[in-house]
Amino acid sequence: MSEYLTASGLEVSFGGLRALQDCSFTVERGRITCLVGPNGAGKTTIFNVITGFLRPDSGTVSFQGTPLDGLKPQAIVAAGIARTFQNLRLFVDLTALDNVVVALPAQAGEEPLAAIFRPLHVARTQQSRRAEAMRILDHVGLATRAGEFVRNLSYGEQKLLTVARGLATGAELLLLDEPASGLSASALEQIMALLRRLQTEGKTLLVVEHNTRVVQQIADEVLFLHQGHLMARGTPEQIVGDPALAEIYFGGVI
Amino acid sequence: MDFWLSYLTLAAIYVLLGLSTNLLVGIAGIFSVSQAAVFGVGAYIVSYLLMNDLTSFLPAMLVASAFCVLLNVLVTLPALRVSGDYFVVTSFGIQLLATAIFTNWTAGTGGANGLPGIPPADLFGKTLDDSKQLVALCLGAMVLGCVAFWLIMRAPFGRLLRAIREDELAVAAAGKNVLRAKVSAAAMAGAFAGSAGGLYATFLSFIDPSSFDLDSSILLLTMVVVGGARTLAGSIVGPFLLLALPQVLSLIDIPTTIAAAARQLIYGVLLIAFMLFRPQGLAGEKL
Repeated sequence: MSEYLTASGLEVSFGGLRALQDCSFTVERGRITCLVGPNGAGKTTIFNVITGFLRPDSGTVSFQGTPLDGLKPQAIVAAGIARTFQNLRLFVDLTALDNVVVALPAQAGEEPLAAIFRPLHVARTQQSRRAEAMRILDHVGLATRAGEFVRNLSYGEQKLLTVARGLATGAELLLLDEPASGLSASALEQIMALLRRLQTEGKTLLVVEHNTRVVQQIADEVLFLHQGHLMARGTPEQIVGDPALAEIYFGGVI
Repeated sequence: MDFWLSYLTLAAIYVLLGLSTNLLVGIAGIFSVSQAAVFGVGAYIVSYLLMNDLTSFLPAMLVASAFCVLLNVLVTLPALRVSGDYFVVTSFGIQLLATAIFTNWTAGTGGANGLPGIPPADLFGKTLDDSKQLVALCLGAMVLGCVAFWLIMRAPFGRLLRAIREDELAVAAAGKNVLRAKVSAAAMAGAFAGSAGGLYATFLSFIDPSSFDLDSSILLLTMVVVGGARTLAGSIVGPFLLLALPQVLSLIDIPTTIAAAARQLIYGVLLIAFMLFRPQGLAGEKL
């Protein structure tokens, strides 16, 4: 099987705390891989390393055979990996639509000189950009909320919007940090349906998730992380059914 | 009559400065207290070129703007390394340094005595020595500046800057070059401040360091706070209003020695009052 995303030997320390220790794993194309583990296991740190926000002390990440070492976040997005944040980090003073438009790849008029000297060209391309952003919003089920400011959206809608923003970048591998946490039952169903739909459309998803019911419903594969190290991997049934892992997960050993 | 023309001319020049400060402080979130220094450099460059008959007015303006673009980028670069509070201190240092140079480099700037006898602006071989022509020139420059600002803000660049102000990390995660956008904003702010400097020097025909000191930088910030951050209307309202203040004070019968101090006092009170009670200014958004 071809290697899609490969992390090998990642080490990250924050002062005395070893957030990742010899952490290695692979993610396969077209699958939904869930990253689980107790708090502090290093799940978000892995996201930060893959997306270039954090440089590992050692170890390497490669995507489709190309190492991502030392690349800036923007270069990694251009390579086809986008992420969401656990605390959303939406632009709350912008509309839902503008949140998506901002994330669309390089646009005419993103430079001040182009904005001043080619206003008509910029206005024309903006029209098609907005249409594209609308399609993405429609895709995640937020079309009717496009003109709304983010602060007026419900929490569930905001979560959907973070996914829309990730999609706007055009990335094929999406790293989603707890997309389902804190959601009502109906919002939960909505986001799980969306994730499955994205999978059928060819996206690969790496998802940090705490809710075992969600993991069982969406994951093709589960990576179990403990103390910054990959402890086990397998199908949801194998991982959830393992009493030793459950013991760690629900607060046994620290 | 002349009083109104000079008020209009100065206000037009300060609108350019307001746009500059708004771009940098209000929109890009780079809290600079040294915009008057950049303004001053523009003024001194245009004065030097015109007084020594090296170029005519427009090329001098171009040189000054280009130099101020470069200068503002250099001045702002630390802002991209040190965060918020630290940059205010850095920028404060830059302002003091600039004032020291303006005051002490006698050969270049005339020192504390300033530069008298700056020739008036000229356009296409015609000298604009009439105050009506000058006000037209400055209002024209103001309109150009406002149009440029408006185009920038409605373009993707403006949206990008707003997003950066809210959450840099999220913008980087969306695959955008945050550094480049901030440097571009600083460059635009430099061009605005530099050309305002050139207009100011040719309008007054005399400049000295007191127009480009820390007080002036703070006046520019006050204009943005009172007018309102991030909007075109705010950048226009602030300068027009605050520049009217000295004129209003001159109508009240107080000694001139007190008037200057009273003005500073009112600026200070306005700054505090707006920050506390109306952070979005008269016609803008929250800083």
